[in-house]
Order: sequence, then C-alpha cells, then structure tokens
Amino acid sequence: MKVATDPATELLARLQRLLRWRLWIQEKMQLSEWQVTLLWAALAGFMGCGAALIFQALAEGVHEVLTGTSAGVVESMRQLPWWGCLLVPALGGGAAGLVLHYGQRLTRSQSSTDYMEAIAIGNGRIPVRASLVKCVAALFSIGSGGSIGREGPMVQLAAVVASLVGRWRQFTGPQLRLIVACGASAGIASAYNAPIAGSFFVAEIILGTIAMENLGPLAVSAVVAALTIRVLTSAQVMYQVPGFQLNSPWEMGPYVVLGLVVGSLAPAFLRSLRQAEQFFLSLRLPIGWRLALGGALVGAMAINVPQVCGNGYSVVVQILNGPVVWRVLLGVFACKWLATMASFGSGAPGGVFTPSLFMGASAGYLFGAAVHAVWPTGAADPGAFALVGMGAFLAAASRAPVMAIIMLFEMTLSYDIILPLMLCSVIAYYTAKGIQGSASLYSDALKRKEGETAAPMVPVGRVRELMRPNPPVLAPSARFQEIAQLFLAVRVNNLYVCDPAGGRFLGAVSLHDIKPYLADGNLAGLVLARDILREDFPRIGPSQTLSDALGLFLAHPVERLPVVDPETGGLLGSLSKNDLLLALVERRKPLSAA
Amino acid sequence: MDFPSQLLAKPDALILDLAANSREAALSGLHAMLAKCPAVKDPPRLLHGLLERAMLAPICLAPDVALPHARTDAVERIVLGVARLAAPGVGFDAEHPNVRLVFMLGTPKPQVDEYLLAVAAITRLLKAGDGRAGLLAARSEAEFRELLERGAQP
Repeated sequence: MKVATDPATELLARLQRLLRWRLWIQEKMQLSEWQVTLLWAALAGFMGCGAALIFQALAEGVHEVLTGTSAGVVESMRQLPWWGCLLVPALGGGAAGLVLHYGQRLTRSQSSTDYMEAIAIGNGRIPVRASLVKCVAALFSIGSGGSIGREGPMVQLAAVVASLVGRWRQFTGPQLRLIVACGASAGIASAYNAPIAGSFFVAEIILGTIAMENLGPLAVSAVVAALTIRVLTSAQVMYQVPGFQLNSPWEMGPYVVLGLVVGSLAPAFLRSLRQAEQFFLSLRLPIGWRLALGGALVGAMAINVPQVCGNGYSVVVQILNGPVVWRVLLGVFACKWLATMASFGSGAPGGVFTPSLFMGASAGYLFGAAVHAVWPTGAADPGAFALVGMGAFLAAASRAPVMAIIMLFEMTLSYDIILPLMLCSVIAYYTAKGIQGSASLYSDALKRKEGETAAPMVPVGRVRELMRPNPPVLAPSARFQEIAQLFLAVRVNNLYVCDPAGGRFLGAVSLHDIKPYLADGNLAGLVLARDILREDFPRIGPSQTLSDALGLFLAHPVERLPVVDPETGGLLGSLSKNDLLLALVERRKPLSAA
Repeated sequence: MDFPSQLLAKPDALILDLAANSREAALSGLHAMLAKCPAVKDPPRLLHGLLERAMLAPICLAPDVALPHARTDAVERIVLGVARLAAPGVGFDAEHPNVRLVFMLGTPKPQVDEYLLAVAAITRLLKAGDGRAGLLAARSEAEFRELLERGAQP
C-alpha cells in the first residue's frame, strides 16, 4: 500500500537523496580544482589551435594576393620579376605600417599586447583590439615575404583567445595568467607541431619554472592543440631528415667546437637585431615608411637571393637534406642575417624564432662542411651539424636549452642526433651566457617592458588581490532544505553563514558534517543552519599576507577561506587555495628573471 | 557504550509527570531541573538559547514529542534533560497540541559532531512508535530509565 506523504517531506527526501548522490559523485569522480583547470587548459589548446590555423590561412591568402601565386614564399619570389621582388615586400611593409598607424587610433588607451608580458609581469589581460591590429599588420609583413616568422602572431592570437576565455569565466589573476600561458603553449604546439616543446617553451622561458602546477595545464593545452592540428590538417613531422649516425666518439670533438661557435654567434645575432632596431628608430620615419623601407631592403636582397624571404623554413629543409654548395649557403646566410635585421629592425610584426633556426642550421652546415674538408671522417655528413646547430643556436638565443633540445627532437624525430645535440646545446648555452649574461631572444623584450611598466601588475602578496567576491551564503535560520539546495547548486564543501541584517560572518556549514545524516529524514526536518554552524571556521582578513593564508590552509583542511572585514566582521569574499598556490608558484620566480 | 547512547541512558535531568499548562511552563520546569547539573554554567543563558531557537523553527519531532535544543556557551559539555508531562500534555504549536515527551538538549558551540550524533540518536528513539509508546506508558522512573537505556542501544 502506498503511504501518503506531504509534498514538503517528499521534497526534503528528494533533496537528501540528491545530496547523497552529489557526495558520492564528489568522492568517487568529482573534478578537483586542478582537474577543472586542466579542462580549461584543454579548451584553450583547442581554441588556440583554431586561432593559429586561421592566421596561417589568412597569411597564405595575403601572400597569394600580393604575389599572384600559391607557391611557397621563396618559390614565389623566384618567379617574380626584379621589380616585383622589390615592390612586394616594400608594399607589404608599408601596408603593415599603415595598419599599425591607423590601428593605434582604435587602441590608444590599451596597454601592451605582448602575451609574454601578460603572463610574466602582467595580469593576464591581453587587449583584443590592439592584438588584432598587430596580427593584421603581421599578415601583411609575413604575407609579403618579410624575413620574419609567422609563429609570433600565431602564438599571440592563441594567447588572446585564451585570455578572452579566462576573462569570460572571470578567472583570478594567477588563473588568468596560467590560461594565457596555456594559449601560448597551444600556439607554439600548433606552429611547430611540437607539444612537448610548446609546454617547455612557456614554462622555461616565460614562467621560469617547470613546476607541475604550471607544466600540467601547459602540457594538456599543447597536446590538445597538436591533436587538433593533426586532425584538421595534414601536419606531420616539421623537418623530415635523413638518418644520421655517430660512427665514433671522436666525432663529438667537432660538435664541442660547434657549440662554442654557435654560442658566440647567437649573442652577436641578437645584438645585431637590437642595433638594427635602434638604427631604424633613429631615422625618425613614420611607421608606414619605416616598415616599407625594411621591406624594400629585404626585396632588394631577394632579387638575387630569394631565400632571404619568409621565415627560412624551406631553406632549412634543403640544408638538412643537403647537399648544399657551401659558398652559396654562405651568401644566403649573410643575406638572411641582414634581411632579418631589416625586417625585425624596421618593426615588422612577427617572430624571430624560425629565422633563428635558419641561422643555426646554416652555421652548423657551414661548420660541418669546413670540418669535412679537413677531416672527412670527423664530419661525414654536414647535414647532421646543421641539425645540431639549429638546436644549439636556439638554446643560446632563447637561453632555454631544455626546450631547444626537446624541440629539435620533436621537430625531427631523429633520436640518433640526441647525444651531440645535448652536448652542443649546453655548450652553446653556457658560451652565450658567458658572453651576454642572462639576456636572450625574449628576456630583452620582457626586461624593456618591465622597465616601462609604472606599477608592477603582480600581486603584492595581500589576500584582497586574490579574493573572489560574492561567495554563496546562508542565513542562520536556513532550513535543511535550503542548505541542501545550495550545496547541490554550488560546488563547495563549506557554505558560509552570515547574519542577514549586517552581513556579519558567523561561521560555516560543512557538507561533511551532515553527510552521515543524509539518510535521516527526521534529523533533516529539525536542523537549521545555526544548529550545525561551525563558528570556529578559519577566516582571514583582506589585508593579511598570502603567507598568513598559506599558514591557515596548512592548518585547516579547507579549499577556500572566507575573507572577513576585521572591523565590521562582514564577509567580503573568499580566497581559493588553488589561486594561492598559483600565485605562490609565480612568486618563486624573481621579477628580474622574467 | 558510545557517546549518544551514554547520553540517552543517563540523562542529566529526568522528571516524570511534570505538571505544566503551557510550552513555556514545560520548558521552564525541565530547565530548572537541568540547571542543577554542574555542567550548566549559565542557566538563564541556556534557557534564553532554548527559547530563541524554539521561536525560529518548530522543535517537535512527533505529535507528542518535542526536542528543544540549543548550541550555547552556557554549558561546558553536552547536557540532556528529559521530562514526561502529565496527560493530556501541552500545546507547543498548532500542529503539536498534546506534547508529552520533552527532550532538552544543550550543546557547547564547537561540538557540532556531538550535537548531530545526539539529535540523531534522540530522533531515532522517539520516531519509533513503540519506543515513544513505552516511554509514555512507563510506570516508574526506573522503568523509564530502562526503556531509555534499551532505546539508546545502537
């Protein structure tokens, strides 16, 4: 016989059942904050990859419009008449300059667009309009054959998309910086089809730490991006190389010398880029004319040496797969260096990562060819030296040897080269460090921007900066039904109880306190929030330091702390342990190292 | 014997056939007995807490059972007073016009776990029809205590 019960009792029983299920799910399979972070990292990876692919397609479209052919940059320059070679990069540079000039009107009040700055010393917010302006300008400079890499804008766009996701979800500062870092990691993974290197690039160069709190989300983001790009495109190993073989341990000798050579060359390359930048600025030309001049210089060289155009990828593939006439390569190497100085120095938006790979590959091949000439068995294949040179140059220029070694391995999947690559990269790294200190391809920009930033954007270590407003609260008179409904609606283990009159924090109701009684309908009918309130629940003031908060988190097994005004006792917000840990991980890196 | 069983088996105050003609009189009568317990540091404050809580939400478990309870600093440890009111009982509210069994509970503020254990044990005992009927029918304090002790067994 069915027992008749009143609707209120039925509702209460249903809520209790749901709450029991919620607890069961929470204990068995509910996602922790870190797991949720990984999901957002995966989304950043997917969207970052999409943004990178769109940029790549647009850059190819602009190139086709300007040159009238869909062939590669070097090939299309070869097909153009001399005046076309001169005109296309100049026009592209001019157009990029005009976009930047007029784009500034739209973005005058916006702060720096640099994703590295946003991650390392900023608040994770990358201005969208300013970034789009920069990327549109980059489309012209890259599409017209400027000696610049397209990976820079691809990573920038991926980071902007991640920043937008984080802002939409109202992430706190440390979370926002982490999600932007995930976007950047996805951008690099998409550009080079290298997920491990993508994660390590951001961790080692930008964040300055490979702590799992950061590396985990970065890796997830990069893997998702790499998978997406493999599904959506026919992306394969970036540099297909022949098998290399180390026949004798004596062959390591030339690699040691190569490390010293490349380690000396990289600082000179970086210095030359800075000098070129200063030279172009000293001309005091309007930005459009300045970029057009840079493009014209590249175009002038491209009349005879079309290999100077673009990021150098196709030439690197030729070098690695050899043979190459060393005299020709020497000329291309010198011209490419000058062309990169012209593009970068004039301010063409883009990256210098891939041009750096070109410099390393050329230098390595030339060195290998020289050794081969005097000791044929010591350098049987100069192509192997080109491969090692790429990694070593990258290690020296970026001051990130781990990333460089991993990236080279990922881009070539050639394990035979790993021993000389590791040795040469480390030697090049220390040589470059000895010559030029801690300055690198990226730290230069960050250091300059850090100096320009009037007030540091990093939190100064007070609770209020990481506080999240409006935590879910209960009144002390809340019935069990209301408590259960709120626990089901929000994913917290403790609900704060506040005085409804003044908002004074009274304590917290713990889900785990009521867990054993969820099957007890009688108890549920009798209990109010004030009956099961924990008045001694830990709390923190907004002006207290993050170290104080860490102490409280260590002393109490809670995921969030209520932030309470010490004077009025009013609840101001809550502090998440996750946010605090992220902030502390970031703080381990001194600003000067950014 | 675990904590709630021990509390139920040996209440700090027990009075049978308490004469009262109102809710307040019933609460005051039982409170006066419970106030003799040394663990009650501040009897007026305990009574204030009990009445304040009773005003916020119903404290009755069944038509004839009330469980006035409060978490308060007025007690040093959890205290329990039990009273059986003379028939026909008193009205605690419109839905509970003939309350005859009153279990009065005072809990120190930090002891949330103990409070929940005690309330759960009391509700378990009193929600069972035969447990309640036995307590109402007990002819002596000894029999009442024996029933409490038996009902307290987990």
